[in-house]
Amino acid sequence: MFRWTVHGGPPWSELNRLRREMDSLLSALTPETWPTGSLWPQTRLFPLLNVRDLGEAYVVTAEIPGMKLEDLELKVEADTLALKGERKSPELGEGVSFHRRERASGTFQRSITLPRRVDAEGVTATYKDGVLIVTLPVEKAAMPKQISVEAG
Amino acid sequence: MAEQEIQVHEKMQVNPPEGEFTREGPYFTPAVDICENEKELILKVDMPGVNGKNVEIDLRDGVLSIVGKVAEAAPEGQELLTEYRTGNYFRSFRITDVVDQEKITASMTDGVLTLVLPKSHKAVPRKIPIATT
Repeated sequence: MFRWTVHGGPPWSELNRLRREMDSLLSALTPETWPTGSLWPQTRLFPLLNVRDLGEAYVVTAEIPGMKLEDLELKVEADTLALKGERKSPELGEGVSFHRRERASGTFQRSITLPRRVDAEGVTATYKDGVLIVTLPVEKAAMPKQISVEAG
Repeated sequence: MAEQEIQVHEKMQVNPPEGEFTREGPYFTPAVDICENEKELILKVDMPGVNGKNVEIDLRDGVLSIVGKVAEAAPEGQELLTEYRTGNYFRSFRITDVVDQEKITASMTDGVLTLVLPKSHKAVPRKIPIATT
């Protein structure tokens, strides 16, 4: 399985912002008939993930509309979150013909490595309106410690 | 095709053909499945992050338009990885089949809008209410 590591910190968020700016500039300069895409294509893995760092926890979100929860599997180990599942294709009834078929179906698996270890016991996941939200608290041992200096 | 891997579908931003939207922010094209049988036309629209209460469906002059609005939550913390953007959805279709507008039904489950358009012979403009599940 392909592992994707996320990096945090100001230089990365600045680079992400720059990438978006360049992408919108590119699409603004390209005639509409041209195929447009990102200048920096990232992973081509489903589902696309957004990760935020709340300090005490990481929040991973993914847009997976129309999933059945029993077809979704989440695993957490040390600093890695693994997502696995299947999005079933719609049932075909009698005499039905498709005009358009854009909604993706099939199996997916993806894992993501977070900057710090997480507390697997405290991980919570919710699924609402087709959006999966996984909250992963940072392991206590991996949290930065404040050390008080005593006057000698 | 049981073991087929899902391909990434990147969201495409759209500009509406007639006029801008009053609400700021990007609008994306949702992925749609359209199928048809003898009696009806069925549309399935992927709009993750949209609640059934925030969907507007309009059918007039043979144009079906779908607008889905996402509940914008203030982003917390620092972004580490942003592979997808969030925003509202817009898509419209020209319906050539004669549809019984009185009997159109819409429902929304887990970010997927299902629209059933029964075929008929008359066509009168009408707003369509959404049933939330």
